[in-house]
Amino acid sequence: MGFHTIQENEYPKLLKEIGKDAPKQLYYKGVWDEAIFQNCLAVVGSRHMTIYGKQVVERIVSEVAAAGVTIVSGFMYGVDAEAHKTALSVGGRTIAVMPCGIDLIHPEHQQDLYMEILKNKGLVVSEYEGSTQPALWIYPRRNRIVAGLSRAALIIEAGEKSGSLITANLAKKFKRKVFVVPGPITSENSKGIMQLIKEGAEAINSADDILSIFGGRTSPKIKGEVRPRDIVEIKIIDQLRREALSIDIMSRNLGMPVAKMGTILSMMQLRGQIKQEGNKYYVN
Amino acid sequence: MLIKVQSAANRGLETIGVDVEVNVANRGLPGFDIVGLPDKEVQESRERVKTAILSSRIEFPQKKITVNLAPADVPKEGSAYDLPIAVGILAALTNCPIPERSLFFGELSLSGDLRHTKGALLLALFAKEKGYKSVFVPKDSANEAAIVKGVNVYPVQNLQQLLAHFAERECILPLIYEPVKEVLPDDLTEFDMKDVLGQEQAKRAMEIAAAGGHNILLVGNPGAGKTMLARALPGILPPLNEIESLEATKIHSAAGVIPPGGALLVTRQFRSPHHTASPVGLIGGGTRPHPGEISLAHRGVLFLDEFNEFPRSVLEALRQPLEDGVVMISRSQERVLYPARFMLVASANPCPCGYLNHPKKACICSVQQIKKYQKRISGPLLDRIDLHIDVPPVDVRELSENQKASEFLEPSKVIKERVMFARKVQQTRFAEDSIQVNAEMKNSHIKKYCPMKKEVEQILQQAAIKFQLSARSYLKMIKVARTIADLEKAPEIEVQHIAEALQYRAKAYEGV
Repeated sequence: MGFHTIQENEYPKLLKEIGKDAPKQLYYKGVWDEAIFQNCLAVVGSRHMTIYGKQVVERIVSEVAAAGVTIVSGFMYGVDAEAHKTALSVGGRTIAVMPCGIDLIHPEHQQDLYMEILKNKGLVVSEYEGSTQPALWIYPRRNRIVAGLSRAALIIEAGEKSGSLITANLAKKFKRKVFVVPGPITSENSKGIMQLIKEGAEAINSADDILSIFGGRTSPKIKGEVRPRDIVEIKIIDQLRREALSIDIMSRNLGMPVAKMGTILSMMQLRGQIKQEGNKYYVN
Repeated sequence: MLIKVQSAANRGLETIGVDVEVNVANRGLPGFDIVGLPDKEVQESRERVKTAILSSRIEFPQKKITVNLAPADVPKEGSAYDLPIAVGILAALTNCPIPERSLFFGELSLSGDLRHTKGALLLALFAKEKGYKSVFVPKDSANEAAIVKGVNVYPVQNLQQLLAHFAERECILPLIYEPVKEVLPDDLTEFDMKDVLGQEQAKRAMEIAAAGGHNILLVGNPGAGKTMLARALPGILPPLNEIESLEATKIHSAAGVIPPGGALLVTRQFRSPHHTASPVGLIGGGTRPHPGEISLAHRGVLFLDEFNEFPRSVLEALRQPLEDGVVMISRSQERVLYPARFMLVASANPCPCGYLNHPKKACICSVQQIKKYQKRISGPLLDRIDLHIDVPPVDVRELSENQKASEFLEPSKVIKERVMFARKVQQTRFAEDSIQVNAEMKNSHIKKYCPMKKEVEQILQQAAIKFQLSARSYLKMIKVARTIADLEKAPEIEVQHIAEALQYRAKAYEGV
């Protein structure tokens, strides 16, 4: 563990820019090097992440992180944790800003993720020392560090009164770019997002939109895609590209007994063509 | 004058002979005593016997009456000694002969009539085994005893009738067994599988579970139809075969839950205890070990709705019976072994609020709450459940209009036929083993009956890595695949059977 005060040169420049709001000092765990603060993107969202939210994180954050952008988030479960995880899974770097003293892990059950972050050249930071307990009033203060460290913020799934909206508004206040990923308007998790869009946030559907402000370009992805084997598999993939579906609905749509459909889906899953999350399938 | 009447005592499913010795002495103070470790019920029998004899218009002697229940060191319980005691006293009074090699068994009412008494079947089985010629039991319990062939079962209505029979004035005729058509309670017959809209995969899983006797866990949002699916299960289960039927009826006779005039159980039991059930209620026990729900569900279904609302201690107690198919209840006084080979059907919500992964309603639980909730069911217990199935909520209105959906609706009768076929295949397969269904297979059986081609095994190994199957899950997949193959009349397990079995691996509660 170590710390850097605002007077020191090591203190992230971007965070200093936010003026009197900037924390006086940052405690950290992991290896502090300035490169990690170069290109930061804040990724925050709902604690109650849906399957759609997870897909979005996997699709967009993985590309952004793979391009060398550091993913900053608040280590909360849901979208935050998923963003950290996804960054690590593509070999990217990530910063977790804690809502508690630097010696605590909150939420505690994500200890494994905490260790993964530290192991993979990531950073855990907090403005509080020792074992200060997490508290409701600390969350918004933590959010200002998340927003302050980043050149832009990406909000994925946010309810009406989500804490992610605080992060978005802070980012706006600090003159940082705010990106959002639109969701289905029927979802509770889209309400906050819609609000942000109305207030002028940029709605995006691919990583390129984000990478353009970091001056980077995404390298064309070489995905080891497994080709569908027959007409049924093509039909299944076609359907799943549109939306995630449960086995019952798919067997109804294709007019196929559920036993046979199960066999096909298991085999496609084994080959890595599709994935199962909750009770629904979607294309990898 | 000393009279000896023979009766029997049931301890669990075992029966031992009891000699009821009645002495009516002319000397000594008038009184009526019972010795030989009688418990409260047997002590009270004095009043019943006395009044019943008086009600039968026979004067009760003002003499010293001593009754001994031998062997004297075995605790005697229950009301079944009323009849042998009364017979002994009457014989002493009237000098009428008592038929030889006969057992007497039954509770008296104050009017002199005999009441339905639990355990009549066990008594008859004991009589046959020990070579007794006849048994005298209450009329209401006679049909149950008459299941046993080779023993004369005399249905006795009241003491007077019995005396007339002894005096050969008016003979009681031995009862010939009459099978009774069982009437299922309404809530069990009201659901047919075709009434369950959607849920194609869940229904398929129920079919597999019924065919192979597999335990099944249904996880889904409130109102998705978990309970309805479970309640439709009896409709696709095959009837009990002869051996199973006798096993189950014995337990029910011992528990005293066979109704008056009842007979062999032919349909499989469907027991659904509420989640406030105590460990003793579920497993069995008490100072005089009584069969619990798991034994009453023997060869049938034990349905535990709201599975993770059951106290952990109760659920964990299920582990051993689930594995062994019997439960040994040990108390300081006695040890009783009850069979408990049941099919466990459990239903649970995915989280405390119930709406995790619901398409319309948001779940309000935190990750920790969900973890804590799912952790209530331990890994070892989940490991003993072969089929795990999601029951997602369905849009009933849309489904009832959906042409394709209604094409898939199969009535329970059709499914039952397939299940019965698969059961027959299993019966032939396990003819030389002591098991009945695929779910009971142990490792040695799997080795013997589930040979797989190389490519099939490869797929399974691939899946084991991809889905992180434990060693036990791996074997579960083979057992389930065996049942799927049986349903399809395939002699060997093929790739498609394994692939389908993988659909039913643990998902929702995985990693707990």
